[in-house]
Amino acid sequence: MNQNTENFEQLRRLLKLKRYEQPPPGYFNGFSGQVIARIRLGERGEESAVIERLLWEAPWLQRIWAAFEAKPVLAGAFGLAVCGLLITGVIYSENGDVQPVALIPVTESLPSSTEVANVNAENHPLLVKPAALETSSTNPITALETDGLLLGGLRAQPTSFTLPGRN
Amino acid sequence: MVKRARKGDLAAYDDLVRRYQERIYATIYHMTSNHEDANDLAQEAFIKAFQALRSFKGGSSFYTWVYRIAVNKTINFLKQRKNKAQMSLDDLDFNAEHDPDLVALISDKTPRREVNLAELQEKLNEAMQKLSEPHRLVVTLHDVQGLSHEEIAKIMDCNIGTVRSRLFYARQQLQAYLSDYLQ
Repeated sequence: MNQNTENFEQLRRLLKLKRYEQPPPGYFNGFSGQVIARIRLGERGEESAVIERLLWEAPWLQRIWAAFEAKPVLAGAFGLAVCGLLITGVIYSENGDVQPVALIPVTESLPSSTEVANVNAENHPLLVKPAALETSSTNPITALETDGLLLGGLRAQPTSFTLPGRN
Repeated sequence: MVKRARKGDLAAYDDLVRRYQERIYATIYHMTSNHEDANDLAQEAFIKAFQALRSFKGGSSFYTWVYRIAVNKTINFLKQRKNKAQMSLDDLDFNAEHDPDLVALISDKTPRREVNLAELQEKLNEAMQKLSEPHRLVVTLHDVQGLSHEEIAKIMDCNIGTVRSRLFYARQQLQAYLSDYLQ
């Protein structure tokens, strides 16, 4: 047993050599950074895995995706079509927004005066008579306001201002 | 720091990795005798530890817990590698030449001390690779890294008696393999 212990002591000394084995200088400086980068990459990978699973569970989507991958022109055309639809939608919605402005009616004519500037209600785009609306639209709102004012008697008022140098 | 890391704080986890990276790398390196494998496995062990951090109950220290993950990962890797061992040894530190224990082991007949140290290193690693994984692990953790029997028992999830008997058997094996280099 003593001989064994002595030999183990020799062995222990020899094993000490392994403590001197060191990785290349500076190796540990970037180690943790690599670990953190791989963790971040893995988190992004999980997000892409969700997309992959969606593709796998929807075969028709997978076929479309495969077609896009095989023919980039098809993907481009699809992208253009989507953009076209989007632009059309935006234009269409902008046209629709103009209509409520025309609902402001004028019920009496404006007095004329040399001191006061005239506002011609018939020519002003914001002051259109209801009669004009009735004939040109299928809009139910215009039909409801034929015998009254939609905004509770909102009237156009004359605006007076003095021109400089005429006082 | 562990609590912060459990909430997904990567900066806190970065600190934890820095604290234990050298010991974890060294354990894996001494088990594989291959720098590239040790690098990959050490990184994977830390990544797995981060992913499993929510399941860490704090029953043992974080240090023991990470060690266990690294050890299990390494043993699984070595079982798959089996007989395909290819050594890629780290260089010896310059101070090895001046260690009195190592100097005593070097024969006076050969003046080229560095060559002898390199040769010893290679023979030692070859002998280590001949041990079974549990025996190699016990020698690595106790004789190379200086962990206590209790710490090793926790890491290997076995009792202290098993650690002692494995250590004794492993030393006997190494002694037989390296008899030419021991006085």
